[in-house]
Amino acid sequence: MAKFPKPEELSNIDFAPPRKGWMDLPVEFKPGMFCHGSKPKSLEAVGFPNPRDWKPADADWKLPENWKEIIIEGIAERLRKYRSFRLFMDICVRCGACADKCHFFIGTGDPKNMPVLRAELIRSVYRKEFTTAGKILGKMAGARELTLDVLKEWWYYFYQCTECRRCSVFCPYGIDQAEITIIGRELLNLLGLNIEWIAGPVANCYMKGNHLGLEPHTIVGNLEYMLDDIETITGKRIKPTFNRKGAEILFVTPSGDLFADPGTYTAMGYMMLFEELGLDYTWSTYASEGGNFGFFTSNEMAKRLNAKLYAEAKRLGVKYIIGGECGHMWRVIHQYMDTWQGPADFLEVPKSPITGTVFENARSTKMIHIAEFTADLIKNNKLKLDAKRNDHLKVTWHDSCNTARGMGILEEPRYILRNVVNNFFEMPEDTIREKTFCCGSGSGLNASEDTDLRMKGGLPRANAVKFVHDRHGVNMLANICAIDRATLPPLMDYWVPGVKVAGLHELVANALVMKGEKERTTDLRGEPLPGLEQKEEKAS
Amino acid sequence: MPVIVHNDLKITVDDDGFLVNPEDWSETVARVLAAQEGVGELSEDKLDILKFMREYYRKHNFFPIVRFVCKNVHQPRNYVTEQFIDPVKAWKIAGLPNPGETVAAGKEDEDVEGI
Repeated sequence: MAKFPKPEELSNIDFAPPRKGWMDLPVEFKPGMFCHGSKPKSLEAVGFPNPRDWKPADADWKLPENWKEIIIEGIAERLRKYRSFRLFMDICVRCGACADKCHFFIGTGDPKNMPVLRAELIRSVYRKEFTTAGKILGKMAGARELTLDVLKEWWYYFYQCTECRRCSVFCPYGIDQAEITIIGRELLNLLGLNIEWIAGPVANCYMKGNHLGLEPHTIVGNLEYMLDDIETITGKRIKPTFNRKGAEILFVTPSGDLFADPGTYTAMGYMMLFEELGLDYTWSTYASEGGNFGFFTSNEMAKRLNAKLYAEAKRLGVKYIIGGECGHMWRVIHQYMDTWQGPADFLEVPKSPITGTVFENARSTKMIHIAEFTADLIKNNKLKLDAKRNDHLKVTWHDSCNTARGMGILEEPRYILRNVVNNFFEMPEDTIREKTFCCGSGSGLNASEDTDLRMKGGLPRANAVKFVHDRHGVNMLANICAIDRATLPPLMDYWVPGVKVAGLHELVANALVMKGEKERTTDLRGEPLPGLEQKEEKAS
Repeated sequence: MPVIVHNDLKITVDDDGFLVNPEDWSETVARVLAAQEGVGELSEDKLDILKFMREYYRKHNFFPIVRFVCKNVHQPRNYVTEQFIDPVKAWKIAGLPNPGETVAAGKEDEDVEGI
């Protein structure tokens, strides 16, 4: 493969619009901008249609003969089922407020990455098939026939949207572009047109309980390794439990935290915090995935995977669930789970056993985010924290799209950060909180074959990090999302070398003063703690 | 499928260069794969890493966390990356199956420049 372009080449973006109208420009599959197609074994594992070997760049996608009927009927069914979809098909006035808000448009200059135009790809077919004006006036009314080229265009661009919803913040009608992409992907899945980076994890999660396909003894083994490290650092041996019936709380986190750095440091952080609290909790090796790649496939698949969490909570007889640092997990729980499977009446409304706080926001789902849980602990002065232990870090906060825009977790992580680090610098206000920029690789696009797309889409986020890196010397990008922890390190290495990535609870555990611990000389990564050398000099 | 021929050896690999039959692995095969990956000579230290990875995979049906490999072969935490640059290359030379996109993208120190 050709050498990957340098940052100065990749940031040279052509924003000149093409001379032809968008309907007259057929899709061009550019290498590095799309993912591998789904493999048959991944679709077979969950009983999805049309499992076969296919390559997105091939002319023949091996579709069933009646593929067009399947799609049109699929649209009709979803128009009946989802009022949101029907509304979003009808109400856009194409004002363009969203056009330059998408990280993929900013990073590529491709007009079909303007959220309005990406939605038009599907709206144009909707008009043709489902509106009188479209049927009669055709192209004049913005309508067009569904052809194989149009289908390919859908595939290319609906897997160039990370469902981050930044555009929806600026839409005067509140159109949620993610909902359109979600339906677009659902329709494509009716023909077996997924990407393997989503289909593989879905199959793994369905069969083995987590996206990576970690088996029970591997989950336990990996955590044991982390416990060895915790013992080296703190002198304390922690003994968590697995699949324990009668525990008060079930803890579920993305499986990425159990395998890949820096997520493993976050997992160490969870265990150290829970140990210090004496929390009555259990891990599960069955419901061993907080994330839900089914959500990037179809609502039905998301529902099937989400069911595991609650089935396991019921089986173990826990009172409620605490979820770890995951992004889209929280969009599923916060906005969809309750209508799919809720209310989870067999569980109890989450109440912190340490502070007595009742989490009214989770009255129906019975599941709280660990940032809510920890912020409440600090607010009630239940943790002894020494923020100086993080003095070697200058931290900025990346609001993960799904927890920030999807759920409103904006203040809790900031409150925690201010208590566990002394050097916290915000990125520019148009790039954080509800207006946060996506990592560029969310919603299952974190493959290696689409690195070009990921680096381009991540440019706006990286650019804001660069601002605080240059101005304040920021060297750590903290977040509460496992996809972020996987995608931001290569993004930083490419655009802003010198900035590392950490989960919030790694920083919490660095600062956490644990009962009976030995004097710490390193942080969770084994890096020497700041100021310790001076202390030793004074002592001598 | 591609076949690498080295003296009397015929090594079948997949399109990404991963050994198709894990039981075909031997130190000689590892040396041939290492040459393919541009890793160079396999020192005793590197072989220790590869053997540990193989044993781990046999037990766990999964790839080991990179920094714990280093710990187990009694080396500093960045040792695997220093020796092989890319942990996926080490898995490949160890004769482990193709991890597919999912795991490979989740590993640390992804080398974007090298893609």
